[in-house]
Amino acid sequence: MYKLFFLLGVLLPSILMASTSEPKQNYMAIIMFTLFVGVTLFITYWASKRTQTASGFYTAGGNITGLQNGLAISGDFMSAASFLGISGLVYLSGFDGLIYSIGFLIGWPIILLLIAEPLRNLGKYSFADVVSFRLEQKPIRILAACGSLSTVILYLIAQMVGAGKLIEILFGLPYYSAVTIVGTLMISYVTFGGMLATTWVQIIKAVLLLFGATIIAFLVLYQFEFNIDQFFSEAVNTHDKGESIMAPGGLISDPISAISLGLALMFGTAGLPHILMRFFTVSDAVEARKSVVYATGFIGYFYILTFIIGFGAIVLVSNNPEYLNNSGTLIGNNNMAAIHLSHAVGGDILLGFISAVAFATILAVVSGLTLAGASAISHDLYANVFLKGLSDEKKEMKISKIATISLGILAIFLGIIFEKQNVAFMVGLAFAIAATTNFPILLLSIYWKNLTTKGAVIGGSAGLILVILLVILGPVVWVDIFNNDKAIFYYKYPALFSMTVTFFGIWFFSITDKSKGSIAEKKLFEGQYFRSQTGIGIEKSSSH
Amino acid sequence: MQKDTYKETYKRLIRTRTKILFPLILLTVISYFSFIWIIAFNPKFFGTLIVGTKISIGILLGFFLILLIFIITFIYVYLANKKIEPLIKQIQKNV
Repeated sequence: MYKLFFLLGVLLPSILMASTSEPKQNYMAIIMFTLFVGVTLFITYWASKRTQTASGFYTAGGNITGLQNGLAISGDFMSAASFLGISGLVYLSGFDGLIYSIGFLIGWPIILLLIAEPLRNLGKYSFADVVSFRLEQKPIRILAACGSLSTVILYLIAQMVGAGKLIEILFGLPYYSAVTIVGTLMISYVTFGGMLATTWVQIIKAVLLLFGATIIAFLVLYQFEFNIDQFFSEAVNTHDKGESIMAPGGLISDPISAISLGLALMFGTAGLPHILMRFFTVSDAVEARKSVVYATGFIGYFYILTFIIGFGAIVLVSNNPEYLNNSGTLIGNNNMAAIHLSHAVGGDILLGFISAVAFATILAVVSGLTLAGASAISHDLYANVFLKGLSDEKKEMKISKIATISLGILAIFLGIIFEKQNVAFMVGLAFAIAATTNFPILLLSIYWKNLTTKGAVIGGSAGLILVILLVILGPVVWVDIFNNDKAIFYYKYPALFSMTVTFFGIWFFSITDKSKGSIAEKKLFEGQYFRSQTGIGIEKSSSH
Repeated sequence: MQKDTYKETYKRLIRTRTKILFPLILLTVISYFSFIWIIAFNPKFFGTLIVGTKISIGILLGFFLILLIFIITFIYVYLANKKIEPLIKQIQKNV
């Protein structure tokens, strides 16, 4: 196996080197990237020896510390999409970028206050463990797996397409090879190194990205002698839209959309399977708590940096012909604002560093997603539905590795299919599904005594179907992608409607459920609640 | 004697936790939705520049909100470690 890693470590950078069209500019990027791949493959090799058990594979044995987990979680959130996407949005319209940053951040207090500790105390490998703690295994696991897999796959498509395009621009690599390289590396990390390797890849990348973004922001502000007022007035003077970049623009147009988008962002985070899964990697509720504070601090700091970077690009990139097409728009697209800015303030060295970090970011994020998807397949569907919990660990491990490889190949395949599509809406849809299906069943299973299997399944699946339907019939897909004149469903953001349906459905079908099973489920609540609050009964982390 | 007291401690744990959680959840939800609300209903207000600068009220409040979100998580963990954790430890000892 060592040879395989060695081969990957040497082969991929050399493919990159050979097929890059402008090698001169990209030396730094290629060296940095090679180094990153080398180190992460070495970590994967090291982790593979510690990932022989299911708990090792899914949760790194529960030995990750609060700080490490906080970094890894922040790494999941500091994706290339949020680094380049938000700084690009700020570059384009100023203030509006802040709406997304705050929306992505506001989910964290919700996770911390309502979800993190009970989740850690009740679950083992996936959030479905928690929901099915006292409910019927089969239907609940299937529902949770549907919610998880649709969230993960939508997220994966968005990341893969973004990755392919970004690498195409940064390294001059053909789209197909870029997507294949990302897929191959991701499969190796996850299959061989499990959660331990995935976590360390995420931690290293988070540190590199925080470091890189700090340097860019520092160099930008340095040019203005750290006079924030002067910095902003320069941006207002430079930008086409002038003073209006300091105010909300067209992102939200009416109160219904405002609340709907707000709900999806606020509660979506608390339903993302790859985020929830991270809470099983720490030893107990105390560490789980700690990791959220670290994560919130890092992510908040990072979003402040992206805001400065976006404004920095307005001042230092938007009027520099070196970075513009003939038509006056950014080379690449608006999402390249941060990349161009790194060159403007730090030359080829910083450009190379940031490019490599952007590549690393994509790898780390897709690895985490794939692992969460694989656990939904092997742990929830295979071990607990198909084999009714009787599977032996070796077999489950094998299935999880097969699932990882299949998901990896699927991701490459979908990345290629969706190359020419606008995939920006997919992350929004993933958040809406997470907020509509995963979050309500998780929340109510922890706190509401009268929740029954029937209620959770009917409410949860009704919400899931509705949210997908509303997005397809809404302006984003029906008009922008299918080219129809008018949307059948008026609003861009469906969460307000679909969450209402989910909560109402769960409530109604739970209180009217008088079956024997439901009475037994209610009786189990006291014990479950006691464990969720005190952590008495949880397995100790394994020590290697 | 121990056997009886853990139930009392458990009740105290739930009360303490609720007392800490409730205001923090309220603060989170209210501050975020007021922010979104102003964006939807009165975006001009957020565009108002702070006198003597080119920084708008919206941007300033946005930065404060990021800070506030962090402070909320920090306060919770501080209080949880100080007030909730000892109760949990006590219950764990007595069960």
